[in-house]
Amino acid sequence: MTEPKDRSAAERLDAALARFLDEGFARREPALLQPAGVFLDRLGEEFRGLLFLTTDGAGAELCLRPDYTIPIALDYLGSGAEEPASFVYGGPIFRIGEGEAPQAGLESFGRADREAADAEILGLALEAAAAAGAPPLRARLGDAGLVEAFLDRLDLAPVWRRRLKHAQSGPHQLARLLATPARQNGGAGAGVLAALERSDSVGAKKLVEDLLAIAGITSVGGRSAGEIAERFLEQASLAEGLPAETRALVESFFGIVGAPDAASAALRQLAEEAKLDLEDALDRFDSRANFIAARGLDLAQMRFTTSFAHAIDYYSGFMFEARDAGGTDDAPPLLSGGRYDGLLRSLGAKRDIPAVGAALWINRFDGGRA
Amino acid sequence: MTGLISSADQKLVVAAPSKGRLQENALAFFARAGLELQQSRGARDYRGVVRGVEGAEALFVSAGEITARLASGEVHLGVTGEDLVREEIADADRHVELLAPLGFGAANVVVAAPQAWIDVRTMEDLADVSGGFRARRGRGLRVATKYVNTTRRFFAEHHIGDYRIVASSGATEGAPAAGQADLIVDITTTGATLAANGLKVLDDGVILRSQANLVASLTAPWSEAAREAARVILSRIAAEEEARTTREVRAKPADASERLVGQAEIKFGATLLAREDGGQLSFLAPEQQAAQLADWLVAQGAPTATCRKLDYVFRVNNDLSRRLEARLAESKNSQSLGI
Repeated sequence: MTEPKDRSAAERLDAALARFLDEGFARREPALLQPAGVFLDRLGEEFRGLLFLTTDGAGAELCLRPDYTIPIALDYLGSGAEEPASFVYGGPIFRIGEGEAPQAGLESFGRADREAADAEILGLALEAAAAAGAPPLRARLGDAGLVEAFLDRLDLAPVWRRRLKHAQSGPHQLARLLATPARQNGGAGAGVLAALERSDSVGAKKLVEDLLAIAGITSVGGRSAGEIAERFLEQASLAEGLPAETRALVESFFGIVGAPDAASAALRQLAEEAKLDLEDALDRFDSRANFIAARGLDLAQMRFTTSFAHAIDYYSGFMFEARDAGGTDDAPPLLSGGRYDGLLRSLGAKRDIPAVGAALWINRFDGGRA
Repeated sequence: MTGLISSADQKLVVAAPSKGRLQENALAFFARAGLELQQSRGARDYRGVVRGVEGAEALFVSAGEITARLASGEVHLGVTGEDLVREEIADADRHVELLAPLGFGAANVVVAAPQAWIDVRTMEDLADVSGGFRARRGRGLRVATKYVNTTRRFFAEHHIGDYRIVASSGATEGAPAAGQADLIVDITTTGATLAANGLKVLDDGVILRSQANLVASLTAPWSEAAREAARVILSRIAAEEEARTTREVRAKPADASERLVGQAEIKFGATLLAREDGGQLSFLAPEQQAAQLADWLVAQGAPTATCRKLDYVFRVNNDLSRRLEARLAESKNSQSLGI
C-alpha cells in the first residue's frame, strides 16, 4: 500500500473513520461545548491546564471538547445503557498545547468477553491508523488489572497500598515510593505516633478527639477525628517500612518488560516463587494475547511493561499506546487507549460496565510536518 | 495588541495602582526618585502625566489590570504584585521582567489546612491524604482559591493531582468553615485571619513570598521615545536607590595611594567616586559600612573624615536600564527567530 505523504488531516480522519464504520459501529459526535466539571472530576485538576475554558452567564464553567470518551460514555448512560453498544467518532478536540486537533476513535460498552474486546479495539485502532497513512508503529502494552491483582495479593497496609498505586510511573518513581519516609510528621507528630503504637482504632480516635478538645480546635473541614486517628495509625505502619522480601518482590514485579509471551512466563515464575495466586489475572492476560495474535498482529513486536504508566488513571485493565517505530519512546503516542470498567459507574451507572476504547491522534500522523 | 501604534514616538506608558495603600506606596516610591505621577483633570480620569519626563504618560488602574496590560503590552512599566504576575501571566518570564522588588505590599501565597488536621503538617502529608480522600468520600479534595494557576503548578510539583479547585471570589479563608472546601490557597500577611478561621499554614506550604515589584513588559511597543523615557525614569530610580543604600565618605589620608583605595574596596565594599586635587578622596560605601570606613580613614592619617547622605547617585549605565535593554534585545531575537 503506498500512501502519499502529504495527505491532509481531514483526509486521514476520513480514512480512519471509514475503517471504523466498516465494522458497523454507530457514529457519535458530542457537542463542541462541554461542561468542564465532569472532566476535572474524572481527570483531576491537573487537566485544567489543558482546557480551553469559558463561563456562561450563570457562572458555570464550560470548555471546548477536550476528549470524546467521557461525553460518549455520558450519552450511552443517558440512553439507558441496557445493551452492549459500540461507537465511533471523528472530529476536533481542543487542548492547550495541541490547539484544535483532529481525533478519531472508538468506544465499546457492555461486552462481557473482555479479552476479545480488548484485542478487537487494539486491532481496529492499528488498522485504522494504517488506513490513515500512519508510519509503521510500535505498540506498548500494560495491564492495570494485573497490577491491581498483584498488589491485592501482597496483603499490604492501606497506606502502602495507596502509595504503590502510583508505582506504574517508571523506576525512578518506584524508588521514591519504596523509600521509607525518614521524617514522621516532624518531632511533634512522633510523640503522638508513639502514644498510638499500641492502641486500636477506637482508642486512637479518642486520643485525637481529646487532643483537639484540649487545643480548643473545633473540627472544621471534611475529615473527622476518626479519619485523622486512622491516618496516624497508618503512619506508624509506614514508619516500619515494607518487609524486605515484599520490597524485593515489588521491585522485580515492576521490572518486568518484554514481549507479551515472555512477560507472561516471567510473571508466572515470579508468582510461583512468591506463592502469589495470580492465576486468574494471568489467564486473562494470555487469553488476550491469543486474541491479539489471532487478529494477525505480530505479538513478538509488541512490548509489555508492568510499570506502564498512563496519564489518565481511570484505566482499570488492558492499556496500550503506539508510537512511530522510527521514533523515540518519549515521543507522544499516535494512538492510545485501554479498558476503563469503572468510569461509567463513576459517571452515574448503578454498576461497573465493561468499557474499552482507543483514540487516534491524527494530528501526529505526519511526524509533525503539517 | 503589540504594535497597534508602533510609530517611533509611541509614548512610554507607566502604570500605578489606582487606589488604597498600594497606590500611596507606589506614588511615594516614584516621588522618592523625583518622579511625580499626576492624574490629569480630576481623580476620575485614569490617565495622567509623569512630570518632568518627556515621552511618558501615566495610567492609574487596579493592580490586576496593570498585570493584564503588562502581559498584553499596553503598558511598558508598572507597579504590581509578584503574586499577580505569577498567577495571571502564563509563562511570565517570557512576557515581563521583574526589574526591582519595592519593599511594600508584602504578602505570602500559602497553602492552609484546617488546624484540626493535626496529622497534616507538610505537602507530603497532604498528598497522602488526597490519595485516600476519594476512596473514602467519593470525591477529591476541594481547594478554595483565587490563585488557580499558582495552585495547579505548586500541587503538581508535590505530586497532588486528585483535587478540585473551588473558585473563590470573596473571603477565601471562610470556605472550609462554610463547608465549601477542605483547604485553601490564599494570600496572607500575618496569618491572623487564617488562625481566626481555624486554619494553619503547612510547614512547606509557602508558595510565593510576594511583594510589589517594578515590572517591565517585554511585549509592549518599545519605540525609541519609549526607551529613552524608560532610561530617564530607571536611571532616577536607580540613582535614588543607590543614594538611599549608600553614604558618601570624604577624607584626606596621609597616603592617598592606589593601595589604600584597593584596601577600602576590599574591607568596606567602597568605590572611589573622585580623587580631588590635594589628595582629598571621596568614596561611596554601603550604608552599614560607612562609619567604619570613616574611622579607618582617620586611622590612616586623615585629620577628619566626613560621612553624608546623598540625594541621588546617577551612573552612566545603571543596573535597571541595563537589565531592561538586555531583556528587550533577547526577546527581540527570539521573536525574529520565530521562537
